[in-house]
Amino acid sequence: MTPEELFEIKKELKRAKRRDKELEEANMGLTSLMDIVSIIVVYLLKSYASDPVLITPIAEQKIPMSKMDAAIKEGVPIYISSRELIFKEEQVAVLKEGELDPSVVQGHIIAPLFEKLEEETEKSKAIFEGRGEEWVGHVILIGDEALKFSTIVDVMYTAGRLEYSEYSFCIIQKG
Amino acid sequence: MARYRKKNEIKVEEANVLPVMNIMFLLIPALLLAMEVASMAAIAVSPPKFAAAPSDKKEEEKKEEKPLKFKVFILEDGFRVSTAAQQEGAEAGKAQDSSKPTIPLAKPSAAIDDYERYDYGKLEAKAKELKEKYSHETVVTISAENSIPMQVLISTMDSVRGSDCKLLTIKEGEDFPEECLFFQPIVEAGAG
Repeated sequence: MTPEELFEIKKELKRAKRRDKELEEANMGLTSLMDIVSIIVVYLLKSYASDPVLITPIAEQKIPMSKMDAAIKEGVPIYISSRELIFKEEQVAVLKEGELDPSVVQGHIIAPLFEKLEEETEKSKAIFEGRGEEWVGHVILIGDEALKFSTIVDVMYTAGRLEYSEYSFCIIQKG
Repeated sequence: MARYRKKNEIKVEEANVLPVMNIMFLLIPALLLAMEVASMAAIAVSPPKFAAAPSDKKEEEKKEEKPLKFKVFILEDGFRVSTAAQQEGAEAGKAQDSSKPTIPLAKPSAAIDDYERYDYGKLEAKAKELKEKYSHETVVTISAENSIPMQVLISTMDSVRGSDCKLLTIKEGEDFPEECLFFQPIVEAGAG
């Protein structure tokens, strides 16, 4: 037998073996998809965690637009829509056409907000005292674009009475 | 020997990643919902008594210069601009001319809820003019009539700050760029 014939026989044998082989079940390779999904989840979790304050506008609220680009500093958020004043996910006062109900405002102080904010301030001050840090009160006003100036002044005055010295107006960046 | 090894080879089972994938796919919409759709920012404002204190470095040179006391009062019919308690464009001998604003409305016939009816361009030009004379000044006192909406207040702050002002890029200790005019607003209670 010549080497060529031997090679041909071997080739034939291999071919026959291949023909007799059972069909293997194909497995879907999920590893690459898993990698992509993991990267997306990590990215989303990171962007979720990097914001010091998570602002979620309330119903019937149109946040004013501005060209300002400064980031939101950590603080106590106070939400005011065209209908209600919300603090700690709780309705504190009702508004009519961007103005507070006169019965809740006494000499620029919004009485229900003052009470709720006072509780929160005491807790916050105790935490800062425990840490040995100086407490600096910062209020973030998330107001409606139609909110009246008098209401803004009332909120600032109420917070000011509780030693809040820093104020920020939350805006949506234009352009 | 080789055949023996092949027969006894340990079969490695592939990990079943499908349940993990399911959780991951559920996490994506949940996180997307929690994410901010629009990018939020904040305008830092101060009440009158907490006005920004001047830095030590420039305190001496500031003392020599007359304070500007730039004030913008938002009226229903325009802006009243004053410096050092003197209203711009007021009648001679009068500190304030209550009958007319310094910068009248750009669209006088527009509805009250049209926030673009104010002449923000002219106000910015006025702020630029003042900044050229008082380059060290950064504080502006903004007040308004009780009925003025928040959007008008914010747009007024944008105008006096300068439309090209970018505060996010400035690092601590760095000088503020020329484009930034009056970027430290003090919100003062108005009247009426």
